[in-house]
Amino acid sequence: MDSDTQVKLEIYRYFAETAEAPTVATLARRLGTDSDAVRRSFAALRAARVLYLEPDAETIRMAPPFSGVPTQHVVEIGARRWFANCAWDALGVVAALHQTATVHSECAQSGAPLRLQVATDGPEPCPWIFHSLVPAARWWDDLVFT
Amino acid sequence: MLFFRSEDLLNRWCAERGVPRGPIVAMGQLWRLAWHWYADRLSPAARRPGPAEMRRIFASLGLTDPFWDPDAVAR
Repeated sequence: MDSDTQVKLEIYRYFAETAEAPTVATLARRLGTDSDAVRRSFAALRAARVLYLEPDAETIRMAPPFSGVPTQHVVEIGARRWFANCAWDALGVVAALHQTATVHSECAQSGAPLRLQVATDGPEPCPWIFHSLVPAARWWDDLVFT
Repeated sequence: MLFFRSEDLLNRWCAERGVPRGPIVAMGQLWRLAWHWYADRLSPAARRPGPAEMRRIFASLGLTDPFWDPDAVAR
């Protein structure tokens, strides 16, 4: 396995374990490598659209479906809560973790709360809908807005 | 990428912002999208779907509007 893939996997494992984004130093320690090597992998993973980084180029804002910052889309399993980048990623966190979860979000127009039970084979029946304002070809033009 | 409680509320949200409404995706469709994209994300073989695979996934869920074409702008 190449070093970029090792860093990517460790990022996802850390998010899954802790519900938080790992720092460069944490990844370097867990992988037994140095911070500069992790930064190089961050740049490669950003170019491959696997990571979205803050302007400092080493703080993880998004490792889809996981968010490194609080959002309105929360996935709850037991006492642990993960933030997702968007409505799609909220279900994506459940799919990635392969565990029954509760998704908390809200209606973007009315503010009505959404509390959705999602099992490993999908969500309970729910009439709510999903909408993307940005077409697929432009999702990565401004990923935070998307 | 947001949730709405109803189509009417989505229409009001778009009208208030003067933005065009995109296609509606039902919760079951969204789950299958999420599954295709992320179910293997913690495995070594995981990779982000490329344009051809994206089109295939969207088509398999009935999402055939040009909105879902990842190369639509480039063409």
